This record gives sequence, structure tokens and C-alpha cells, in this order.
Amino acid sequence: MTTLTAEALRAGYGPRTILSDLDLTVPPGAITAIVGANACGKSTLLRCLARLLRPTAGQVVLDGRSVRQTPPRELARRLGLLPQSPIAPDGITVADLVSHGRHPHQGMLSRWSRADDMAVASALEATQTADLAERDVDELSGGQRQRVWIAMALAQETDILLLDEPTTFLDIAHQIEILDLLIDLNRGRGTTIVMVLHDLNLAARYADHLVAILRGRVHAAGSPDSVLTESMVEQVFGLRCHVMTDPTSGQPMMLPLCRHRTASNFPNEEAMS
Amino acid sequence: MIVHTETTAWIAALRGARRKARLRLVGVIMALLAIGIGLTLVTGPTMTTPSELMRVLAGHDVPGASFAVRELRLPRATLSILTGMSFGLGGVIFQTLLRNPLASPDIIGISAGSSAAAVFAIVVLGWSGAAVSVTAIIAGLAVALLIYLLAWRDGVSGARLILIGIGLSAMLDSMIAFVLSRAPAWTMQDALRWLTGSVNGATLDEALPVFLSLAVFGGLLLARRGNLEAMRLGDDTAAALGVPLAREKVLAVMSAVGLIAVATAVSGPVAFVAFLSGPIAKRIAGPGRSPLIPAALIGALLMLLGDYTGQHLLAGRYPVGVVTGALGAPYLIFLIIRSNRAEREP
Repeated sequence: MTTLTAEALRAGYGPRTILSDLDLTVPPGAITAIVGANACGKSTLLRCLARLLRPTAGQVVLDGRSVRQTPPRELARRLGLLPQSPIAPDGITVADLVSHGRHPHQGMLSRWSRADDMAVASALEATQTADLAERDVDELSGGQRQRVWIAMALAQETDILLLDEPTTFLDIAHQIEILDLLIDLNRGRGTTIVMVLHDLNLAARYADHLVAILRGRVHAAGSPDSVLTESMVEQVFGLRCHVMTDPTSGQPMMLPLCRHRTASNFPNEEAMS
Repeated sequence: MIVHTETTAWIAALRGARRKARLRLVGVIMALLAIGIGLTLVTGPTMTTPSELMRVLAGHDVPGASFAVRELRLPRATLSILTGMSFGLGGVIFQTLLRNPLASPDIIGISAGSSAAAVFAIVVLGWSGAAVSVTAIIAGLAVALLIYLLAWRDGVSGARLILIGIGLSAMLDSMIAFVLSRAPAWTMQDALRWLTGSVNGATLDEALPVFLSLAVFGGLLLARRGNLEAMRLGDDTAAALGVPLAREKVLAVMSAVGLIAVATAVSGPVAFVAFLSGPIAKRIAGPGRSPLIPAALIGALLMLLGDYTGQHLLAGRYPVGVVTGALGAPYLIFLIIRSNRAEREP
């Protein structure tokens, strides 16, 4: 099992420091969701883990070796990333896009092999996009397109897959479809998944391990039951809420309290402030 | 992993069909090139018959044909093809890296920079040969760096880079005109070469540096095309796929500038060949991979046919750059109008 940890990570853009002394251990074989308020450093953390951003201090360690000392191609065979808004070249077909996932497996001289075809076919099947293989990526719906990008990352055949808000811009049905797909991949292939998610309730429902980030540090990490609490939501998001067990999943869920439309058995936000 | 035999076979078949179509396309362009070469070699004030041409090429002395073919037409065809390939490949690399057909080196001033340096080295310093090529490459890289630095503001936006490049290009063009106007014994013919590009008076000696630059820079670019393809998916995705971005970008830009600069040092900045080749190649090759080899071949075809048209098909004789300029200008206007409209849409 591949292990991924961040040690005393400090990172930012230019003079602005976003992450400071952040420690994180990604549990192997599990689904980790990273949550936090806007601009708390969630995406910055993911970019550091994927080596897209160089930390100013500390390091990211993959299997006991700093990712900066791992050759890029070798790293790309073990750690995949789906960025928030990847670019599909004009008129590229689904099969061609997914084939790009094989890039780190090909050397300067080695030719495309049957193993590459098999990896692409398997990624298409796993994401149920095989029947779209000949279509242009431009023509697909948002949900289909996201599945195709996930297929590309799967064709990369990495032990760890990082996803930056994989459900943004999708309607609720497609959000569920994508998250279900990620669980399938985690269970079926044993892929370790780390994703940044906006929706706390979906994060608590789908993740085995929940990480809440506050001002560039890990505020709480652990099982959704232990992390998703009323006090955590108040500290991390500045939002008062009520946490209960989601009757459909048995996972914790949170219901935000607002200034209006509050039932009499809950404290009204206005009355408290 | 579950083996999906049927899907695997289908994926392999799709890839095979694509490969065949690409090879067929390259074959068709090569056939057109062969026709263009044949036409260039036989056409002149006195036409050479195909049988005479064969005998000349086989090394025999044919009175009235040998000199024209060997000393005039063959160097002209060779230089047209080599510079055309350099312009086509260099152009499509820039257009692919910057994801914009307007980002061609002849639009954003890199050709003009190389041309200005070459004309300065030749006219003012009296240099020739490799020294001129090297000067042209250095000037091309300097202009590329200057555009990049001027366009930098929290990252580089394609539109800003292109506008700055167009401005620099105009400045460099006026420098070329200035140098030429100060050179007393300079003929109209030479002036036209440095203003619009020409293969008049080509010799096989001139073709050698262009051939070497194509072999080195072109070979380097083709060997690294996998990385170039991955970079089309955006910087983040490419990095996640294991492409060392900084190194690959520098290598690709330097190779493309090298191709453009060496060709420009010989034929002048032949108008719009770099700009037109990529989009034409993409149109006929269809989407999919970036059409590097088709673009190089289309560049050669544009040079060869442009020169043939300028020499033999129009009333009067024009250098190749006049013909390709007339072809490229409407397309440039079309692209600018379209990008302007696209920006205004919400």
C-alpha cells in the first residue's frame, strides 16, 4: 500500500503564506475528504500533495521518499490528479483523452502496447464511458465529461488518486453518480482517494476519513463521526448548525441554522447573537 | 484487473484506423509536394521536358537544361521545401503551446526579430553563413523572452502576449526598413527578401544550415511530441501526467525559435507560412493529435507553390512572400474578427 504524508508543510503564492506547519497522513486504501471554508488552503494542500506547488518549508512524502526527489514520470505512475478545470483540446475524442492517462507509462522509445489498450479499455468500462469512446469530449454533458476525466486518471493506474472538487458544476444527481463511482473504484481497485469537497454532508457520507482545514492547518481529522460536530462547523465555517445521523446512510449530517425559518425547538440564530 | 477483451480490441481498432488515416494524409501531401517539385524543376523561360529532366538528374549534361535545373531550379525547390518545413513546424509548435492560432512566430514578432538581426549582420556587419544563422537564433530567442517578460502580469495571458508581439513585430519591421534604406548599394530584390521573404538566387550552400536545423530541432520536437500532447491538456494535468513542464516548455520554444530563425536567416520572413500551415494541417487532418508532420509538409507545399505562382503564374515576377502574404492576410483578419466576437459573448 502506498503511503502519502505531509510533514510541517508551509506553502503559498508569492509573499502570501496559505499553509503553515500542516501535518497530514492519508490513510492508505481509504477515501479521504478535505473540507474547509473558502480560501482556507484546501486546494493549495492538494496542489502540494500532487507536486504542482513547491512548498516553502516541510515536505510531502510518498512511500518514504520526498516527492521532490521522485522523478516526475515515476511519481505520475503512483499518484494521479484530476485538477478542478482541466482543458480538453478542441475536438478530442473520449478514447484519445483517456489514452493520455498512459503518458507516464511510456518511455521515449517504447511504443503503445496491448497493456496500454487494456488499461484504457478497463478505465472506460469502470466509468461506464466505453460507449462514448468515439464521441467528441465537447459534445458530452457535464456528468459524462467528468466521468471521462476520471477515466483518464484511472488509465494512469496509480495507487493514489487526488481530485480537486470533482463534483463542482454538476447537478445533485450527477454529484451522487460521481461519488458512487469513486467508492466503486476505491472498493474495486483499492485506489486510495483524496478529494477536496465543498459539500460537508456529501463529504461526511462518502469519506472514511474527514480532514477539516482552518487557516492553513489541519483543524480536525478522523472518522466523519468524530470530525463532523457542531463545534467544528462553528469554528471552521463560522456557521451554527445541528448535527444528526443521516437516516439513509447512518453517517453524520449537518443542518445549518439560519436567521429565518427556524423551528421553535432550535435556538434562533438571531436570538443568540 | 478485469480484462475487457472486446473493448480492448475496439480501442486498438480505433487507434489503428486513426493511424492509417494519418499515414494516408501524409502520403497525399507528399505526392502533392512531388508534383510541386517536378513543376518547379521543369518550368522556366524554356521548358525542360520530363525526359531531359531525368537525364539531368541522372548526372548527364543536357545543353540548355543542366545549368537551369542544377544551378537555379533545384536549389530553389530544395530551399523552399526546407524553409517551408521549418516555418510550418515552428509555427504549429507555438500555436499548440499557446493554444491560439494567432500565436504564430510570424505574427508575434519572432520572425521579424530574426530577420532584423540577419539583415543587420549581412548589410551592416558584412557577415554570412553560420554567423548569420546564430545571430538570427539569438535575436529570435531575445524577442521571445522580451514578449514573455512584457506580457507578464501574474502569469501570461495569450491575448496580451499576442498584442505585445504584434506591436514588437511592427517595430522590428521598421528597423529592417531603416537598415535597408541606409544601405546604398542594395537592390530592390534584396530589400524584398528581408521585407516579405524570397527564395530568389537560392544556392545549395544556403540550404545546408536549414537542413541541419531541421534535423536537430525538428528531431528534438518529434521525439518529445508525447510531452507536447500532454501539455495540450493544461499545465496542471500535464504535470500530473509526469511532464516536467518548465524544462519541456523551454525546450519546445527554443527548438521552434531555432527552426524559424535559421530559415528566416536564409529566405527572409516569408509572410504567414508559419501562421497558415498549422491551421490548414489541422483542418485536413481533423482533430486528434497536434499535426506536427502534416504542418511541416503543408509549410513546404505553401513555399513551393507560392514561389511557383509568384514566378510563373502571375503577370510579372513576385517573391514567394508576396503570394503567401496575399493568402495569409484574409485569414488573419478572419481570426481577429472571430476572436473579437468570441470575447464579447457572455
